[in-house]
Amino acid sequence: MPLTCSHLSVSYGRRRALSGFSLSMEKGEIRALIGPNGSGKSTALQALAGLIASSEGRAEIEGVSVASMSRRAIAKKLAFLPQQPVAPDEMTVAQLVRQGRFPHVGLFRSYGRKDEEAIAWALESTGLTGLAGRTLQELSGGERQRAWISAALAQEAAILLLDEPTSFLDIGYQVEVLDLVHRLSRERGVTIVMAIHDINQAIAVSDRISLLEKGELRFDGAPKALSESGLVEKTFRVKGTFVEVAPGKPPHFDVELTKLNRSGP
Amino acid sequence: MSANAPAIGQPSRWILPAALALVLISFVAAVFLGIVDIPARDVLSALTGTGSTEARSIILDIRLPRIVTGILAGMQFALAGLLLQTITRNPLADPSLMGVSQGATLTVTLFLLFTVYLANPDSYSVNELPIAWLPPAGMIGGMAAGGIIYLLAFRLDLSPLRITLCGIAIGAVLHAIAIGLIAGWGSARIEIILEWLSGSLYARTWDHALFLLPFTVAGLGMLPLIYRPLNLLRFDAAVARSFGLSYRRQFSLVLLVSCALAASAVGAVGPIVFVGLIVPHLARFLAGRHFPLVLPLTIVLGAVIVTLGDLVGRLAGGPEEVPIGVVTALMGVPVMLALLRRVP
Repeated sequence: MPLTCSHLSVSYGRRRALSGFSLSMEKGEIRALIGPNGSGKSTALQALAGLIASSEGRAEIEGVSVASMSRRAIAKKLAFLPQQPVAPDEMTVAQLVRQGRFPHVGLFRSYGRKDEEAIAWALESTGLTGLAGRTLQELSGGERQRAWISAALAQEAAILLLDEPTSFLDIGYQVEVLDLVHRLSRERGVTIVMAIHDINQAIAVSDRISLLEKGELRFDGAPKALSESGLVEKTFRVKGTFVEVAPGKPPHFDVELTKLNRSGP
Repeated sequence: MSANAPAIGQPSRWILPAALALVLISFVAAVFLGIVDIPARDVLSALTGTGSTEARSIILDIRLPRIVTGILAGMQFALAGLLLQTITRNPLADPSLMGVSQGATLTVTLFLLFTVYLANPDSYSVNELPIAWLPPAGMIGGMAAGGIIYLLAFRLDLSPLRITLCGIAIGAVLHAIAIGLIAGWGSARIEIILEWLSGSLYARTWDHALFLLPFTVAGLGMLPLIYRPLNLLRFDAAVARSFGLSYRRQFSLVLLVSCALAASAVGAVGPIVFVGLIVPHLARFLAGRHFPLVLPLTIVLGAVIVTLGDLVGRLAGGPEEVPIGVVTALMGVPVMLALLRRVP
């Protein structure tokens, strides 16, 4: 299996951010991590990427413990895009995307044809070919987010971890990113884990969903089973119903905005 | 870069050759001009080994060594500043951020204090002071201060902010001790310290150039090794590590190179650290979006600024020349303010 973890626990000082988290990914699977703010989604992704040490349990890529691999070896197999990454303003899109090839070229090897092809593909997949020479400062928020996704794609890793890739994007770009995620999984067999806030997007795009609350795994399974569990309402402390939009399609979560009273003028 | 077509109107092609030409021009100007008026013909014959003894001595033993020392020190300061600014992501970083100049000041002060009292208690024996030992003494202090700050920050995970805060704190303590020693000392020897403190190329000999040369060569020789990591160290740690960089190891390596370059240069010519602050900004301004140009431009401009700054100081002050540290600070501040206007 490309990516697994079992009983993974992470603490920041005394605060336990993740306890006993388990996950096992099939090749080409899309997994959504959902949960309230501070439920441990980002922590789980960072622990999977080997960026923070776990106090218990371990993450494995193809059966090899992430903690035992070098950063370069991990980066060849796993690309991780953190939430709101920062790059120097004067860096261009092309320069950013080129950095994604570092795990392949290392310190000395020059960029070969394969590297240039990967960069071109990454730019094209995110619709940035025409903007390659622009600096990140000159881009809109959506374009900048796509540039980062493009850099992660240039790594050509079989596993892609995304931390809220659609936040701060308008609905058009949100759909575009989700569509790209879907294509990567189905056409290239990329295994994808992403933290995401929009429950309906999570249900629509993912094969399976992990629901986290206070660092603990509350649910692990198919979107449909989640919609029938009543856990979403309970975990997020909202009222709402799952509505069937069309037969055979994933249900849509319709949240009740009880605090709003729009009847009066 | 094939995917990075140069934008129209970007001076990417001619800017590096132009900067190199500027090095040559400033070098020639610095050799030919000086407070002692030597005709160009005599300078040339001195360079070829003929001509009067006086001209030969001025050109070969006074001007050339100080120019070469200045060029080497300038390149080192500028490169050290660029490396430090890049990896700490702090545009105001210069070698004093790592306590290098303060540590060097303290050891140079201590060194003079102890050697004087151990060797000769007569407080007017300036000429007998072991000035030749100042460069290594200063360098050891600079490296030690950098090492202390590194260890403090390392314990706290090497975040750029921690390095900055540790650097300011340790730097302030070292500086205070050094100033306290100097103030409580009060004698003719203070002049040596003051001259060293202001950063000066006065009376620099081939010994100073030879002291610096291995560090310059080693520092430049490290560049191919740290070039790609340097690109990745511009990101925060999580991003750099995700791209496959061993962040801690590479950060430490670049920091070590930066400290060694700065500490050896401070030891040889005193803290002209302003060069390390200003030159990378100038290089970045000229390079624009062509980041690959920033590194070579920084090195070349470091040589130019120090050579020209020293020439101006020599010519402006007459026999009482103005130290290069003062000149670069006075010239640098307007440049800095102009560049900062671009920052939002």
